[in-house]
Amino acid sequence: MKSRRSRYGVLRRWIPLFLLGTVSTIALAACPPNEADGSLLTSGKLQLAWRPLLQGDTPVATTAIPMARHFALAVQLCEGRMASQASLKRIDATMPEHRHGMNYQPRISPLGDGRFRVEGLMFHMSGRWQIEFEVQNGNDVSRLLHDVQIR
Amino acid sequence: MTCHAFCMTFRFDSSRISHLACVFLLACTWGAQAGEADFSAEEIARIASHGPWPMPSMRDPGNRVSGNPAAIRLGYRLFHDPGLAANRKISCATCHQPERGFQDGLATARGLQHGIRNTPGLWNVGQQRWFGWDGGHDNLWSASLRPILDPAEMGGDAKRTASLLRGQSELDCLYRHAFGKAPDAGDDALLANVAKAIAAWQETLVSPATRFDALREALLRGDGAAVANHAPALRRGLRLFLGRGQCATCHAGPLFSNGEFGDIGVPFFVKPEGVDPGRQGGIKRVLANPYNLLGRHNDDATRNNATATRHLRPEHRNFGEFKVPSLRNLKYTAPYMHNGSLATLRDVVHHYSQIDEDRLHSDGERILKPLHLTESEIDDLVSFLEALSPETPMVIPGPPARIDSCRGFARRSQGKADAHAASVTSHVSRNDR
Repeated sequence: MKSRRSRYGVLRRWIPLFLLGTVSTIALAACPPNEADGSLLTSGKLQLAWRPLLQGDTPVATTAIPMARHFALAVQLCEGRMASQASLKRIDATMPEHRHGMNYQPRISPLGDGRFRVEGLMFHMSGRWQIEFEVQNGNDVSRLLHDVQIR
Repeated sequence: MTCHAFCMTFRFDSSRISHLACVFLLACTWGAQAGEADFSAEEIARIASHGPWPMPSMRDPGNRVSGNPAAIRLGYRLFHDPGLAANRKISCATCHQPERGFQDGLATARGLQHGIRNTPGLWNVGQQRWFGWDGGHDNLWSASLRPILDPAEMGGDAKRTASLLRGQSELDCLYRHAFGKAPDAGDDALLANVAKAIAAWQETLVSPATRFDALREALLRGDGAAVANHAPALRRGLRLFLGRGQCATCHAGPLFSNGEFGDIGVPFFVKPEGVDPGRQGGIKRVLANPYNLLGRHNDDATRNNATATRHLRPEHRNFGEFKVPSLRNLKYTAPYMHNGSLATLRDVVHHYSQIDEDRLHSDGERILKPLHLTESEIDDLVSFLEALSPETPMVIPGPPARIDSCRGFARRSQGKADAHAASVTSHVSRNDR
């Protein structure tokens, strides 16, 4: 009787953790991305959603990135309903008409489940900026571009 | 819902999106009321981005005595005290003269030796990201320490600083109040603390609102009569600044600076036979500086204030780039440019009008083209730039309030500071003659 109660106690402890883990994984994967994940770019089956985060991780629309202030990005890579196994290898931004880029080097941190956090971006001038995401999936490298107008 | 009702609804929403939407709707309203003779909705939205003024004050998280009254008074006293300098004759205020917008009126600075760069003014200095023409400092206290220690400027050191503090009872008292310990030359933190006190005082230097700010406010509230009261030349100059001149591409925000760097074709050659590498050297200096925000003297344990330094990216084009200066208070800070080579605002506008593209870095900015302005357009731009300064001479900030428990010491040591302030004023008068 004592041992059955002990086994039951173990199960009682682990079942909620298992359920919590399952729910968390589903929530973190967030695939396919929706509007809350920001702007959506696609390349073949790959979907890339990106969302700017200001100080304090306050999300803003990609059309509302402030000039000359540092911001971070939350990036989600999906393939259909599944988190992509691809990796965000590089991110950069340039002003094509000005022929120069940012004054700062962004750094990418993988968070798992196709999610990445990018720190250290700043658009220091007004005008058209072009963000380039370089995504590697095995031997395939995709470059996804997004234009942003900074005012 | 009317535009006004929309704006009232979102008045307390702090999100930038709502604010911009509000500004845009006001601009729509104003555009409809004012007609095409004045600013377009797009122009008003852009003008709105140059305010409000003053900007909300924020304490420096990297400086634990930012906003501390004892530190502010200590900083004020040290700023004016020649005891920090090797020759005991010059102070920070020798070059950063309050009467001149905390500038010196000279092309290049003169400390113990002649410098190669123009002394920057200090109004609104607490709002900056990088300090110095090359951005060689990422925080105000580090930037304040450099001239004290530089043999070419004040030539001070920790021993001299500690003895100065201990030799003047009020300074000693203020230091203990601000930092909770005695000033000791053997204390590794002494110089950083002294610089933090000087920075705490400089953070209080916020310049008053200007004619431009009044025009901006009038536009945003749709007050056509108040807008019309501003000189047509100012308004034409503002339109040129935002439009064909593309000045606001870099001279952005309430400070009229994006806080970054650019090559605008001002020569970087320095006599004799040298060059000033500008931002290229500044990046090296800031990364090598033990007082930068990545170092242990930064009081922000999160290091969230070190993002800019952590992500710096040296580029070939940085050679010959210099800081985009704020355009506020220009009227009181001539001469202009990093080397003080342009005497008047008219000269500055002429420079952009006839910019020599051959002088620009081959990897540099591609949108800089000669504007070929007419003389009347130059007049208009100068009128606008002058409207970014207060009309009357700047009020010289007085001493910060005394600290009660240090009050007994204050009278005796204040005499020495007053004597030095008088000598600085006399120096200014000699230059004026």
